[in-house]
Amino acid sequence: MQLALNEDQTQVLDFVEALARPFASAPLHDAGLALESAELDAALVENGFLDVMAVEELGPVTAALVVEKLARLPFAVEAAASALVRPLIDPELPRPLCLVEEGRTSGPVRFLRPGATVVVVGQSGVRSFTASADQIAAAQEDTLYAYPVAFLTGLPEAMTSHDVDPAEVTRAWRVAMAAEAAGLLGAALASVVTYVSERKQFGRPLATFQAMRHRLAEAQVVTNTAHWLAMRAAATGDSADAAMALLHAQEAAKRVCYDYHQFLGGMGMTLEHPLHLWTYRLKLLTSELGGRGAQGLAAAEALWG
Amino acid sequence: MQFEWTEEQDAFRHKIRDFLHAQLPEGWEKFSEHGPASPALTAFARGFCEKLAEVGLLFPHWPKEMGGEGLGPWEQQILSEEMWIAGEPRGGQYMNVNWIGPTLEKYGTAEQKARYLEPITRGESLWCQGFSEPDAGSDLASLRTRAVLKDGHYVINGQKIWTSYAGLADTCFLLTRTSDDRKKGITIVLVPMDTPGITVRQIPSLIGEGDIHEVFFDDVTVPETARFGEEGQAWEIVAYSLRNERLGIPRFTLARAALDRAVMMLKDRGDFTREYVRIEAARCAALCEAAGTANYAVVQKRVDGLAIGAESSSARYATVMAERAVCEFVVEFLPEALAGASPYLKMHHQRGIVAGVAAGSAEIQLNIIASDVLELPREPR
Repeated sequence: MQLALNEDQTQVLDFVEALARPFASAPLHDAGLALESAELDAALVENGFLDVMAVEELGPVTAALVVEKLARLPFAVEAAASALVRPLIDPELPRPLCLVEEGRTSGPVRFLRPGATVVVVGQSGVRSFTASADQIAAAQEDTLYAYPVAFLTGLPEAMTSHDVDPAEVTRAWRVAMAAEAAGLLGAALASVVTYVSERKQFGRPLATFQAMRHRLAEAQVVTNTAHWLAMRAAATGDSADAAMALLHAQEAAKRVCYDYHQFLGGMGMTLEHPLHLWTYRLKLLTSELGGRGAQGLAAAEALWG
Repeated sequence: MQFEWTEEQDAFRHKIRDFLHAQLPEGWEKFSEHGPASPALTAFARGFCEKLAEVGLLFPHWPKEMGGEGLGPWEQQILSEEMWIAGEPRGGQYMNVNWIGPTLEKYGTAEQKARYLEPITRGESLWCQGFSEPDAGSDLASLRTRAVLKDGHYVINGQKIWTSYAGLADTCFLLTRTSDDRKKGITIVLVPMDTPGITVRQIPSLIGEGDIHEVFFDDVTVPETARFGEEGQAWEIVAYSLRNERLGIPRFTLARAALDRAVMMLKDRGDFTREYVRIEAARCAALCEAAGTANYAVVQKRVDGLAIGAESSSARYATVMAERAVCEFVVEFLPEALAGASPYLKMHHQRGIVAGVAAGSAEIQLNIIASDVLELPREPR
């Protein structure tokens, strides 16, 4: 048991921090909720930050730490699937990587665009294809998610089959989502804490009212544990750990998203405050991979058969 | 960052399990239904702790200067986990080895160390903690039990409540007021429980026989040498003690073990096929594991010699969430467990409902998290 960061991990996170600094605050944006930066994406690729899992002394925990850190940025980056799932399938697959469940391909797909690699994970196997424009239907412009999303119009006849256990890919997918959710939860909480500490009513900061303090403190508890469960799941590679980590993260997201906008009052309804960038990503993550119930069933199966 | 135990730590855990397997009597599970403070379990614990001492498992985490083996906080954690899962066969003596011993070593006079440490190391003594009062619960610093120094003796008058183990303890680690200066006016006195003027009344409770008491002090007189530390030093000393025992009991381990037990019972009768039961069980397991990792993050800080702050309150609240979920799961899907079908699950339920009250209420933990983890501006007082 060693829960402190090692030197390599500290160093990698420091590098990511430095690289991400210019992207730490959100520019005013009013056309849709999704905020992306090609520049940030290119810098991450160039510096190899999405490939740390394969580096022996770094491994999956470091990859999860990087994913979590990037998820705290106001800009959405396709890092989780690339950093934590792609190495299992084929490290050379072109990004962005879009993971979809076989038989559940009609929902909004994060980062789907022409040239993206769509990975279809089903019980029978793991297959992929490079998406072309005719396989993609755009989401409506004012879609209420802070990820870029689009829809698949169908799956091509011919896909590349990958020699990898689909259960293992699903496990890594859960870890990837749990790590990303942990970062989103952390950033959302931090932004609410700042706001309610500054905003005054009745002559005192909103954060001095216990009605809010206790709910925020509970949010801290589930946010903190979402982090630890995600890291543990990355470290152990255990399927029960992965399912519990994502179940807990999806529970946490459901618990806090509504509260956070509530606490911001009118500002929580605007695009002016960046809170939605994290909460409206979390909202989409709560549905992925079948949502909490599916994670619960997977965890129960792994724990007790 | 890695989440595996070392080979030595695994071996240590197995040593404890083997010992428990060999030493716990037939029918222990039914026996452990008696609360940890019951006369039956207290009497059992005396013999049991003597045997623990013989094989070096009573206080292996104490430094070598104190006769321990100098094992670290992880080993203390492992020891606590295995004992608590087994129903805490040490009874109230877990307090001795977790914090009373180390606190005596740091703040005690030579006379106090000579008198109290050895019985602890032999597994013979039982302490109680005279902290809460009828009007001083969460607001502990408002306590009023008064100790007045007169002719070389403290004369103590007042009342304590919710005191665990008081009915059978030899000594009380008692917080008294020696001046009106709120926290700075509180002084610790070590009071033998057979001192004239002490009356103990058991409070019938939901959490097991003999667990909580009222203790009345009427002109209880002890020599000045019974004072522990200086007058007004109690708050500092208690803070030190809590650093040794900040996380308290590793309740999440019993909650998880109880959940596993409940699932096995449901499986045996073919009831673990319903999806909503399985999902709810998984949610409970995730909460137990969540509490576990939060607790371990605090232990890691102890290992690294870092100051432990409000993150321990966060870990404790995570534990409360887990305990609550498992208690509710059992009641919802295995109601017969609390009516005789499972002594183990009944024992867990009785101990589980205490999680958010004992050693600082859950709401106080939330206050601490709000102020010291989230650093929200403080509430006006």
